[in-house]
Amino acid sequence: MRTRIFTFTLSIFLCAIARAELKWEQTAVELHPTAGDKEAVGHFKYQNTGSQPVRFKSVHTSCGCTVAQSQKEEVPPGEKGEITATFKIGDRTGTQVKNVTVETDAPNHATTVLTLKAVIPQELEINPTFVFWGQGEALKSKSIVVRASKDFPVKQLKVTSSSPDFQTKVEQTGNGQFKIDVQPRETTRAIAAKLVIQPEDSPKVFYATVSVTNAPATQ
Amino acid sequence: MAEIAKVKFAWRIMDLVVGGVFIYAGVVKAFQPVRFASDIDNYKILPWTISVGLAFYLPWLEILCGLALILRRLYLGGLSILTALVLIFSGVTIAAKVRGLDITCGCFGHASQNWSFSGHLALDLVILAALLALYFKVTSENRLQNAV
Amino acid sequence: MRQALVLAALALLPGIGQAIYFRDKVSWQSPIPASEMVTVAQARAWDGNVIWVDARPDVEFERDHVPDAVPLNEDRWNELLPQFLATWSPEKRVVVYCSSQSCNASREVARRLRGEAQLKDVFVLQGGWEEWLKSRK
Repeated sequence: MRTRIFTFTLSIFLCAIARAELKWEQTAVELHPTAGDKEAVGHFKYQNTGSQPVRFKSVHTSCGCTVAQSQKEEVPPGEKGEITATFKIGDRTGTQVKNVTVETDAPNHATTVLTLKAVIPQELEINPTFVFWGQGEALKSKSIVVRASKDFPVKQLKVTSSSPDFQTKVEQTGNGQFKIDVQPRETTRAIAAKLVIQPEDSPKVFYATVSVTNAPATQ
Repeated sequence: MAEIAKVKFAWRIMDLVVGGVFIYAGVVKAFQPVRFASDIDNYKILPWTISVGLAFYLPWLEILCGLALILRRLYLGGLSILTALVLIFSGVTIAAKVRGLDITCGCFGHASQNWSFSGHLALDLVILAALLALYFKVTSENRLQNAV
Repeated sequence: MRQALVLAALALLPGIGQAIYFRDKVSWQSPIPASEMVTVAQARAWDGNVIWVDARPDVEFERDHVPDAVPLNEDRWNELLPQFLATWSPEKRVVVYCSSQSCNASREVARRLRGEAQLKDVFVLQGGWEEWLKSRK
């Protein structure tokens, strides 16, 4: 009986001290890619502070736009490593938050959620990005408001239409603020155009779409 | 005697201020429950369904407890609940900061979205201090009365 | 303790009342407002008045997609948006889908269509592509 109690207690003690644990330097990383960057890469560093090796069971992301990779499959005790999360920016805007879920065989914290936050700079805010007229609608111009962000001062804006069916006029309405007045030549048929909006002295271009739709104008 | 009356008046003012703060906080959140549910969800602690339930329930709990303080009805119950709420709010705000989450919701829902983390926490702690002061005052008064 | 329980119980009444009042504005299952989500059955019932928008990456769209769906993802938003808008007209309803209920892409695309392009009648498909596949069987 005493031997059993001793063995039981010893095994509990051994389990308690023989732990596997992954300690993360940080579980949330905030990135500030510059305009023109195609990707934002976050590094999540960890260390095995336990006495048992830790094996990664899976590393998966919350969306197809983020790819996460672990340097190692198994982390020996005391070893360090990192998980790299690469977020494809594409044409995304604003603050993007993507999660990476890491599953290990460590008894405490078997699952850890790493958060990658990317603040994508938005040089111009275009509102709205789509303007349309119904067929037969009155030939009146409609406006698109363009606001430059404080970090990207814009003195002049160049707007070109991909089709001569739409005329555009740009007016500066304030510091870094512009109004684009657009008018179609006619609203008797379906026509469309892409407006290319380019700040002066900047290679970056922005877009808006204008069209006369197939459907008649609604009152 | 006049001194005692002044002290009593001061405590009463504290009741009114603290109660008023919670009624205001509750009303702000009660007007936009869907937004409040998103704010709770942003802490990434609870499932969405629970966040929605709390978003509909918590503002009214705050309003009723604030009224309890002002009207001195169910006073101790109101005080206990508000103290627990502030402790929980402070705890999750600190946890969110540690986890690097972008949190705009403190006690006052979206009305406080432009406040900093330290601003949120400072207010939470001031309110907590006031609640604890009121709590200890009431419990020591009750003990004195029971002793008499 | 008793007082706290009384207050807690009293607060349930207006809370439940408000939950009933807002039942159409919020989905208890998902963060997307109930009024912005549609089931496959609802979308099919709209028949010819629907534009299906596939918010998944290009490679998934090419593999398979809802018949006549238009690709529109955030990887190539600037290139794909004008192509989508060329198919749109005000009487049509837009239904955006992506890989599954947990994928955020359809919500983001729907949000940008409502916010940036200011389109009305933009919905997210409940259950996403998986739900569509199930309905095909």
